[in-house]
Amino acid sequence: MMKNPSHSLGRVIGVFGGGIAALVVLLFLSLCFGEAKISFQAVIDALFHRQDIPGHNIVWDLRMPRTVLGLLAGAGLAVAGVLLQTITKNPLASTDTLGINSGAYFMVVLGTAFFPTVLSTSPLLFAALGGAIAAMIAYILGGGRTASPIRLALAGMIVSLVIESFTRAIHIFKATETQNLFLWGAGSLVQVNWTGVNYALPWVIGILILAILLGKSFDVLDLDEATARSLGQKVDLTRFIGLALAVLVAAVVVSVVGPIGFVGLVAPHLIRLVGLRKHRWLIPGAALWGAVLITTADVLSRMVRSSLGEMPIGAVMAIIGAPWLVWLVLRKMKGITGSALKMSMNVGGRPAKVNFNRLVVISFIMVVGLILVSMTMGGTTIPLKQLFASLFGSNESSYSVLLNLRLPRTFVAAGAGIALAVSGVLIQAAVRNPLADASIIGVTSGAGFGAMLILIAWPQVPVSMMPIAAMIGGIAAAACVFIFAWRKNLNPSVLILLGIAVSAFGSAGIQALIVRGSLWGSSGYIWLTGSTYGRTWDQFKIIAIFLVVLLPIAWYLGRRFDLLAFGDESSTGMGLAVRKTRLAAMIVGVLLAAGAVSVVGTVGFLGLIVPHAVRVLIGHHSRQSIILSSLFGALLLVLTDAIGRTVLAPIEIPSGMLITLIGAPYFLFLLVRTFRRKAS
Amino acid sequence: MKRSLYLGSITLLILLIVSGCGSSNNGNANTGKNNGSADQNTPTSTNTPPAETAAEQPITIKHNKGETVLDKPAKRVVVLEWIFAESVIALGVQPAGNADNAEYAKWVTAEAALGADVQDVGLRWEPNLETIAALKPDLIISNTDNNAAIYDQLKAIAPTIEFDPYPNEGDAYTGMEDIFNNIALALGKTAEAEKVWKDLDQYYEDAKAKLAAAGKADLNYVASQAFTSQNSITLRMFTDTSTVSQTLARIGLKNDWRSDKFEKYGFTDSTIEALPAVADSNFIYIVQADDNVFGEPVKDNKVWNGLNFVKEKRTYPIDGSTWTFGGPLSSKTIVERVVAALTK
Repeated sequence: MMKNPSHSLGRVIGVFGGGIAALVVLLFLSLCFGEAKISFQAVIDALFHRQDIPGHNIVWDLRMPRTVLGLLAGAGLAVAGVLLQTITKNPLASTDTLGINSGAYFMVVLGTAFFPTVLSTSPLLFAALGGAIAAMIAYILGGGRTASPIRLALAGMIVSLVIESFTRAIHIFKATETQNLFLWGAGSLVQVNWTGVNYALPWVIGILILAILLGKSFDVLDLDEATARSLGQKVDLTRFIGLALAVLVAAVVVSVVGPIGFVGLVAPHLIRLVGLRKHRWLIPGAALWGAVLITTADVLSRMVRSSLGEMPIGAVMAIIGAPWLVWLVLRKMKGITGSALKMSMNVGGRPAKVNFNRLVVISFIMVVGLILVSMTMGGTTIPLKQLFASLFGSNESSYSVLLNLRLPRTFVAAGAGIALAVSGVLIQAAVRNPLADASIIGVTSGAGFGAMLILIAWPQVPVSMMPIAAMIGGIAAAACVFIFAWRKNLNPSVLILLGIAVSAFGSAGIQALIVRGSLWGSSGYIWLTGSTYGRTWDQFKIIAIFLVVLLPIAWYLGRRFDLLAFGDESSTGMGLAVRKTRLAAMIVGVLLAAGAVSVVGTVGFLGLIVPHAVRVLIGHHSRQSIILSSLFGALLLVLTDAIGRTVLAPIEIPSGMLITLIGAPYFLFLLVRTFRRKAS
Repeated sequence: MKRSLYLGSITLLILLIVSGCGSSNNGNANTGKNNGSADQNTPTSTNTPPAETAAEQPITIKHNKGETVLDKPAKRVVVLEWIFAESVIALGVQPAGNADNAEYAKWVTAEAALGADVQDVGLRWEPNLETIAALKPDLIISNTDNNAAIYDQLKAIAPTIEFDPYPNEGDAYTGMEDIFNNIALALGKTAEAEKVWKDLDQYYEDAKAKLAAAGKADLNYVASQAFTSQNSITLRMFTDTSTVSQTLARIGLKNDWRSDKFEKYGFTDSTIEALPAVADSNFIYIVQADDNVFGEPVKDNKVWNGLNFVKEKRTYPIDGSTWTFGGPLSSKTIVERVVAALTK
């Protein structure tokens, strides 16, 4: 890190000179593209000899604020990225990977739907609060300061997924109130006056200057803890200030332009790659290149406007950023290959060691019992009395109609629950990480993208094709991840990181489609949240085929999975073809998840929390875990299906959302456990 | 180990058996339902004179999913999209069930107000099938955009006709006329439908006369529904495929907004940048009362202030509750409000 000063100077000039030159060109370009066609010459005229004609006014009053806001947003997000990476000592930290963007976005949507007047007075407060809470949860869930980069990234992704699910819920139930947020929700720099700039400018510039002034203190954080303390640094204070600045600047940016990902990840890395590591240079460098990146994305988004309509900038940024992340994972993160990284399957504490057989019998009875009980639950408009009356035969018709509607969806729920839970068991075993499930390796967002393509881009295609498209999308996304990770021996950490990159790509695509899509977007949101609504025996047949074929294979492979838990070297030592086993586990897991997703949409978290909870109860044992997880999975999804169609009837609550509602407290429980373990 | 294998296979077996029972129940359910609807029909038929029933011919309705034959005009109708609710009400019938009553009341013209006893069947994109079944309708009208996936289930409850209010070709107004006439046919209200169209035509003629009297006949215009989100503005510019534009064409107004591609929902998503190109037209806009896009946000915007129709005060706000995806009564409301704004 101690470089020859003249060398550094060259780099500084390169970074800043190059950045400024690129920025000037991009700024000019960004003034040239837009809905109205204005020639280069006219833009130049407008810049130097402004007259009161429409073309010149468009350049100055519409495009200029947008461009300047882009600069501020890019700089702000990049600074936040640098600070977060330094504080967490994690090269993957940024406002999007820590969930700050989704937290801030969620709060703004919440405000729009429920407290529009409060929101309009202080959008920043909402956004900052959401961002800060999300960041804290992700940070603690990831294991705090001791977190490995991957664990933190995972935690951030999970937090984002939870929050996004809540955001979608608001979109579904408050469709007319929140539909104007679609565009902003995908990230949009479109401005109509200078208010946005005026609002963001002092914050971003102020925080930028403050961060640069504090640069030396941040440098110390790069050293190890003991050294830093011995230098007399108040490490915790510095860390807190850094975090506060990062959250604040991210909240400011998100509250104006919406959640834009990857800038905070890519820009700091660019500067670090060049070799500038001192924060005094790193921070302004990253800010500059963050601005360059966002302006590039914005220009691109407007250049394609003519053919496709304007792409949301968040989507363009993901298209630029996701390949970067893939490259970063494959080339630069040498440390994560091999098993240097200790990623234990330990769930904290000793398993409760409940008698397995008894547990299976009890949960089986519970599943059957719940299915029976759920038959009696439903819309308030069909009173229980009438139902019982019809049970005893006085009026058979309504009973039959009910059964006809309730039975298939209940069985679909049970089947999908089994598939998702077992898929979670397999994938967690394969990547040796208790925080993984099919959504982590791209299946969810791939499937979502496939389904949205059918729903939105080709509405002529019959809806019956949607499950197939979802299946293909999910499998394709997972295949991408596998292909990239193959050369790295399907290393778990590599898989997870690639999964995050591919997911980001898929999510950006989904968001772009929703913006272009149907009037209200609600059908799409419901599918993306996961729902057992209106499912028939046809869907049950699909999921049944998946289960009948794949569960025996999972069972057969069960013994091998246990060996995977020991880590690559020891597993190989025991004569296990690690890569093959891992691949087999993943393929079966992905197929099960794809099957489930194709019938109930993207129900998240089930595959994550169920195997996790089972492990708490019975410890590591793949075959037992497969059985118990399938029962728990079925139980959970049948339960949420029954609740979802009962409590707000006639309005249905998507099951996926209820799973998230159950999942969120479970994560809090994990947090508490993590804390306790540390304390002891 | 063996034990758990044993247990596992038992689990699966039982699940399969249970699901098998489910399927056979399914079969029973259908017969049960048919009995049920027959029972349900008896009281209705006692209300109508038998002679008339005998005279009624089976009605064939052509719709998106083919043809549906009704033995007699529908009486208890469940509607899953507001345009259908509005059409049914315009024909003098209150639906038995409608989707999202609260939002309907907010958006759709009070002329097509829902009766107090119309059952809410849930959100338009996820209507509650059990609630619909409990209403024992004799006709369900569903929307392709939202309900295509549940058509078979709806059909199992009652005869279901499905229409797409957002056309894939042609324009929404013609589509709306077609939907309205088909609904009238299904309800046995063709005479009432003719009256609705005649009244509407008369209303258009009167509106034309009013515009002519105010010197605003054959006016050129662009129409937009606009909203802000966090300081950016989205303009929905209505194209000729929209109900709004087609309605206004019928009172002689001429839409200056052109889209180079077919817009299913009848508008182009646009920004303020698009307006200078149509600045010589007249600007009709729909904004929400609490989101006055063309007030505060553009107050100091030179592009906006430089537009000819702004300078010459040719901008005409229309109430935010105007429903732009509606039926004949909504069209009437659009005309009423546009004429009031233009002649003020």
